[in-house]
Amino acid sequence: MQFKCSLKAALLGATLLAAAGSAQAQNVTLRALMEDVPETQIIEKLLPEFEKEAGIKVEFEKIGYGDMHDKLVAQLVSPESYYNLLEVDFLWAGEFPAAGWLEDLNPYIAKSGFDLKPFIPSMLDLLGQTKDATPILPMYNYSMGLIYRTDLLNDPKIKADYKAKTGKDLALPATLADYVALSAFFKANTPVVGAAMQGQRGDPNAMEFSNYLFAVGGAYLDADRKVVLNSPQGLTALKLYAENVQKGAQQGALSATLDDTMRLMCAGDTFSMVTYWWMLPQLDNAEKCPKVAGKLALSVMPGGHGESGGWGWGIPKNTSDESKAAAWKFIEWVQGKKISVARAMEGHAPVRSDVFEDAAVLKKYPFYKTGLEVVASGKSFPIFAYSAQYEDVLGAQLSLAAGGQAKPEDALKAAADGLTQLLNK
Amino acid sequence: MRFAALADRDWRTGWAFAAPGLLTLAIVMGLPLVYAALISVSSLTLLKPMLQPFTGFKNFAIVMSDPLFWDALWLTIKYSVITVAGEFVLGLGVALMLNRAVTMKPVYFAILTIPMAMSPVSVALIWRMLLQPNLGIANQLLESLGLPRVDWLGDADFALWTMAAIDIWQQTSFVILILAAGLASLPRDPYEAAEVDGASPLQQFWYITLPMLRPVAAIAVIIQLINEFRTYDLPYILTKGGPGNSTEVLSFFAYRRAFLGLHLNEGAAAAFVLLLIVLGLTILFFATLERRR
Repeated sequence: MQFKCSLKAALLGATLLAAAGSAQAQNVTLRALMEDVPETQIIEKLLPEFEKEAGIKVEFEKIGYGDMHDKLVAQLVSPESYYNLLEVDFLWAGEFPAAGWLEDLNPYIAKSGFDLKPFIPSMLDLLGQTKDATPILPMYNYSMGLIYRTDLLNDPKIKADYKAKTGKDLALPATLADYVALSAFFKANTPVVGAAMQGQRGDPNAMEFSNYLFAVGGAYLDADRKVVLNSPQGLTALKLYAENVQKGAQQGALSATLDDTMRLMCAGDTFSMVTYWWMLPQLDNAEKCPKVAGKLALSVMPGGHGESGGWGWGIPKNTSDESKAAAWKFIEWVQGKKISVARAMEGHAPVRSDVFEDAAVLKKYPFYKTGLEVVASGKSFPIFAYSAQYEDVLGAQLSLAAGGQAKPEDALKAAADGLTQLLNK
Repeated sequence: MRFAALADRDWRTGWAFAAPGLLTLAIVMGLPLVYAALISVSSLTLLKPMLQPFTGFKNFAIVMSDPLFWDALWLTIKYSVITVAGEFVLGLGVALMLNRAVTMKPVYFAILTIPMAMSPVSVALIWRMLLQPNLGIANQLLESLGLPRVDWLGDADFALWTMAAIDIWQQTSFVILILAAGLASLPRDPYEAAEVDGASPLQQFWYITLPMLRPVAAIAVIIQLINEFRTYDLPYILTKGGPGNSTEVLSFFAYRRAFLGLHLNEGAAAAFVLLLIVLGLTILFFATLERRR
């Protein structure tokens, strides 16, 4: 009798504990610091669906890119991170795993049977996947290309003027030098500037310049990770970058960020901008940007290569096991085929080839074909533990050269030396 | 004997009342300061968060061997002198005007206090929009007057001055309040004597107001110097230290070392150099107060 009572009590206790555990998992609120960009808003719209399916609440705190790194680092070095789901930029894909802040996702992938095959391999590489670990799962790509005004390029008056002044036919530039020359022509001869440039020191100008570097065949590192930035191609890229800031870009380009360039393009005050390929539907939008809607197109960076980038999902080590499990459940859901296609229908920049090739997606957005070309031809900024600092080191030198405060030769040498020093740290 | 017991009891009561405040201060200010001091002489980075081994003054040597540190220090001094001079001249002018018998004085004071009540981050964001070269209202205004547009924050020759002007706009109210209070407390007798002797208003200002106002003015200047030396919000929001390094003040340099470079130890060392400068100014501040007594 006594044994039966004890058994009943034990069973009751176990049931209560199990119920409490399940309730605990359901009570987890996932909190993520997100960049305030369209991609975040697309996912945000789908969150009620996840909350209904999984019973897990998700909160996005949206801020500008410039403040994200510091806010995340402060949480990741603390005993317990406030953010239990992480949005990680590829520029931090060297630093965060090296600091030991991220969970390896491989055990989660293996346990849940999540299929990684459809993911574009270069995106997994970009976000630090090794043969031993997957610290970050790709979320979306932000490879860069050229968005330009088709109406201005086909304007008969501008065409005639261009022919008269240069002896050439006005066409989409094939090389970086042609692009910079065309940009200067627009600024000097039309009411719009040639290029909306994001020249603020740091991430904005470092990302922008990378397109110029790759477009002329330059590189930061060779195959052996030796610094090769200070090369004839590097110098050409920097001179052309400075020339475009001074002769083709808007006033204030050296303090401008992505937001400033978007506003300028939206207002119809520029011919072109080197930017993230998926910005096209944001700008080609009659409600938001009536002045330019229907007049924009996307191309691969003149020269054939642009900057490649991407964001991914990570799980911090300094959070509870319940939170980690909930975070993986969300990542698995949001990066699965069904939700990825749903996101793509709203303008998401895919990281899965099956989404790029999806018939419904291509029907709605024919430019995704060019988008895939932009992604496929993109090259990466050097990824290592000090990538964020290198952006700042490079950004300062670019700013000095573009502002005429330093010779391009000296700025390039300083930028290359800075990279060598940081790689050797 | 009884007097000594009473004094002893007062002493205990005093400490009992002061203890909660002192303890809070020790926890929220003392501990972080000690921790920062430890970090500045350790090998701690965000990638290797260990206080060991002790590195002595190596981090200070690393920071001070960087030419950018000296550029940032010089820029901080230049920026502080420009802003404090601007705030003082403007503040004194407005305080003198308000010291006269004007109507609606409280309304003026209330309006003048508004910038001071705003957070520097909001101020920077508002001014960044106003000064946006292509779509901002400042350049539209210049254009409507037939003047050329100015690249307020994107031109290395303008950026520091623009930042200083924004700072002056916000901080002058504080100087006005201190100087106005100082002016209101000045005795009337010397002015009456000077008027009897036939002194002009300019002579009265030069030989009476300024000398008598000097202690209050010194306090206002030193407090503002301390504030300006610590400026961080404005360059962070407005320019990120650029174009080039033209607005990289010392506090921003320390931030870059700590959070972009991940070297908290070097960032702490740079911050301690800044702290020593501010400490020097604080000692000067209290010495001025003592002299005033």
